[in-house]
Amino acid sequence: MPAATVDTAPRLKSPSWPRWVFRITSTVAAIMLFNQSVFAGQFLDGSYDSLLVHRENATWAGIAMLISAVAAVLVRWPGRGPWWPMAACIGIFGLVGLQIFLGFNRVISLHVPLGVSIILLASALAVWSWRRR
Amino acid sequence: MTGEGRAELTRRAFIGAGLIGGIGLGVGIPVLQGLGGSTSTGNLLPSRHPLPRPFTLPFRVPPVLQPTRSDADADYYDISQTATMASILPGVKTAIWGYNGIFPGPTIESRRGRASVVTHTNNLPVPTVVHLHGGRTPHDSDGYPIDYIYPVDRSYMNQHMDMNRRMGASMVGDTREGRRVYSYPLEQRATMLWYHDHRMDFTGPSVWRGLAGLHFVRDDEEERLGLPSGPHELPVMITDRSFAADGSLFYPSMDQTLMNTPGITGSFIAGILGDVMLVNGTPWPVARVDAASYRLRIINTCNSRRLDLRLDPQPEGGLTQIGTDGGLLAAPIRHEHFEVAPAQRLDAIVDFSGYEPGTAVTLLNDFGDGNMSQVMRFVVGQNAGDRFTVPDRLSDFETLSPAQSVMTRTFQFRSGDAGRMKGWLINGQPFSPDNIAAAPALGTVEVWRFTSDFHHPVHIHLNPFQVLSRSAGGPGEFDAGWKDTIDLRPAEEATIAIRFEGYAGKYVFHCHNLEHEDMAMMANFSTH
Repeated sequence: MPAATVDTAPRLKSPSWPRWVFRITSTVAAIMLFNQSVFAGQFLDGSYDSLLVHRENATWAGIAMLISAVAAVLVRWPGRGPWWPMAACIGIFGLVGLQIFLGFNRVISLHVPLGVSIILLASALAVWSWRRR
Repeated sequence: MTGEGRAELTRRAFIGAGLIGGIGLGVGIPVLQGLGGSTSTGNLLPSRHPLPRPFTLPFRVPPVLQPTRSDADADYYDISQTATMASILPGVKTAIWGYNGIFPGPTIESRRGRASVVTHTNNLPVPTVVHLHGGRTPHDSDGYPIDYIYPVDRSYMNQHMDMNRRMGASMVGDTREGRRVYSYPLEQRATMLWYHDHRMDFTGPSVWRGLAGLHFVRDDEEERLGLPSGPHELPVMITDRSFAADGSLFYPSMDQTLMNTPGITGSFIAGILGDVMLVNGTPWPVARVDAASYRLRIINTCNSRRLDLRLDPQPEGGLTQIGTDGGLLAAPIRHEHFEVAPAQRLDAIVDFSGYEPGTAVTLLNDFGDGNMSQVMRFVVGQNAGDRFTVPDRLSDFETLSPAQSVMTRTFQFRSGDAGRMKGWLINGQPFSPDNIAAAPALGTVEVWRFTSDFHHPVHIHLNPFQVLSRSAGGPGEFDAGWKDTIDLRPAEEATIAIRFEGYAGKYVFHCHNLEHEDMAMMANFSTH
């Protein structure tokens, strides 16, 4: 099968481990961000401790997205992948920062839709990381 | 398919399954942990002393206080606030603060329009304040949170204040030395009121130590109904407590002297849930009842715990509600269960005549876990008594309508920073005696709109109100009649209609989760 040989030849030079690292970091970040909605639902249901968890997990989810940004650098070098996941991670991290600010200042009318958007973006990024071969 | 392809497929399936499993665990565990929701805002404080088995101790009723004298205008009572040792758990003495040294305090019986004048003497080590909850009371007898009665013996107070003069001394209102005369006109509908400590920043621990008692108001309207009375009318004061290893009452105050620093440790600022259910001061008691109709005067005096009460097995006719915080309903309502938030009352008729003699009827709390899912037990005896047929009409009163309102005000009840500590705010403000949040004119009706983040049982002093709506719907099934406390649930919006009338002066409204109240969820209104 000559076609396959031609196709895979350039890829052999780029290591596959960076995309595995990125798959893991972006998936963990997406789960942590999704769980913000779980904790929000719990404190809307009356559990005070969930508000504290929601606040703590926001910080950790932001850090997870930063770690993902580092993994995205590896996807580019030495992974030879696209550059835009780096920008995506930094961008989502920025949105998380804004989201924390809105939450602490109780701008709930923006906090909820921005939260949904962040979860959508982070999930899309994680899905992309798995679909990319 | 080649072997290599099959291996690749297996590998992909493996990774896919792992991925789905990982996401499932990462999301599923927190979802499942929070699935039950929260029936009360507060954290469980487990006792460190062995607890009695439920339904082993006899039910008792607090003694009725006799007036020390009476004249044409009023009955005069004397109450001494005293620190004593009480028997609550078997085999151990518990230090309490009690009105006349008992917990609950003595019950006062009054008639509508006949004044009760109660002289409280403070033999406790700390300043106190007495509020008659639900009383239509002039400002100077309403127990404003900084209108202290200083202790008769100020040595403890002076000693502890000297060490740390941050609080207390800086903000004082109309104070008295040693004793104070509270004068209650009681020109109001018959109902069950309760009196309890209301000192700014320290109400939760003071009530927890025992400063609470019942006060009935009777009237002709109620008497005409011929409701079950005497031994067939039972006060049921339900409250939860936790006990330390030495049998003392356990409360995680930052400052155990209750003199200087207000507040509570850790996440107990959400509220405190005890793990011992007390009824009239007895853990999970058993009451022997006749096969007759009873009038149960139920009140939730927990600091934070909400109750969902149900009798098991269900009596004939269920739990027939005839009244609430502010007296009789217009018409009875049959319930299979009834939710009671802190400070709320339920006046209900229960017919025990349908049970076989010897039947154990348990009052359950469906909001509780383990032993806290039970409250007390009734055991039906051989004696048959009167069966009371609840009339279709109980009382006639005006239904307030939003059209009468001259003003709509919105108050947000939310967590936030209360100065130096995390706490609870109304419209973003912690309690200060100097801020007036509303100044309604006497004789006018206003609509107050409340929003909440967690459970907030909101209580307004001076006048009762009617619930108009909850979120997008009408009043809830437990909102009928005149209330003085509304059970706001998490992320809820509710409106009430209230007519301000009676007395001009400064009053408070606040969350009756006492930990929230102490951590600043209180505000003033001033009637004029």
